[in-house]
Amino acid sequence: MLQRKKRVCRFCESGDIYIDFRDEKRLVRFLTEQGKIVPRRTSGNCNQHQRQLAQAIKRARHLALIPFVSDIPR
Amino acid sequence: MENQYSTIFVVDISQNPDEVDTVSSRIQQLIEDHGGVIKKIDRWGKRRLAYSINKNTHGFYVEIEFTANSRLNIPRILEGEYRLNDRVLRFLSYTITKKELIQRSINSGKAKAKKLEQAEKEIEKQPVVEKEAKIPASEEPIQADAPVESENLEKPESSEPEKKSEEVESIEEEKSSEEEKSSEEEKTFDEEKKPEKVEEESSEEENKNEKIEN
Repeated sequence: MLQRKKRVCRFCESGDIYIDFRDEKRLVRFLTEQGKIVPRRTSGNCNQHQRQLAQAIKRARHLALIPFVSDIPR
Repeated sequence: MENQYSTIFVVDISQNPDEVDTVSSRIQQLIEDHGGVIKKIDRWGKRRLAYSINKNTHGFYVEIEFTANSRLNIPRILEGEYRLNDRVLRFLSYTITKKELIQRSINSGKAKAKKLEQAEKEIEKQPVVEKEAKIPASEEPIQADAPVESENLEKPESSEPEKKSEEVESIEEEKSSEEEKSSEEEKTFDEEKKPEKVEEESSEEENKNEKIEN
């Protein structure tokens, strides 16, 4: 079996202090196909950044930059 | 305390595109009348909404940044105006934190450095992309002879997302400095994930085959 690498928070790596909700392309990476927020255990974000990210995503959703629920083709 | 605020609103322009000016001028007037100082007006332009609001698929985004004393409570006054106005589909007012201001100054510094790098990369990139495109083509026949399934599946899969993300990179680089980083990060993210899935599938297949043989 492959051993997983320990992930480091990407926002910490890039040295970002603030996550902007206007940058929806970046936020979309932390959403599932359905539009849910990816949990910390999967994304590897640190606590502070995950909280900021959640706030940014919620603001972006409110302004219709990101969908609340994305369509799933049946 | 003097605060820096940002307010963003989405205007319905399905019936009258001039509505944007009337709404934004009204908001600006409100801010100034109540003692705020407008710093920046940013028109994002007409955008597609991620979901329909009141059966509208598009909206016009306007962002206004201003400073005001927190006692004046301008965001609250604006909220009243937004709620009364039928043409405003969505709005968001918030205080800009120190962190955001620091991040902006960092980004503007990065953007300048990126411009120089871009010019260099664009010259370098064109030949590099061609080379990489050729390599997987030559590898394919060799892989077809190899007996192990998991290796066959891994290599073409892992090489494809690389190429795609590179193409995406070259487009995104021009837009902003942040996006390039995140796309690079995504590359590693994809590479880690996909091969694992493939292996799981292939191992399952092997198990099935063993069962059948038994």
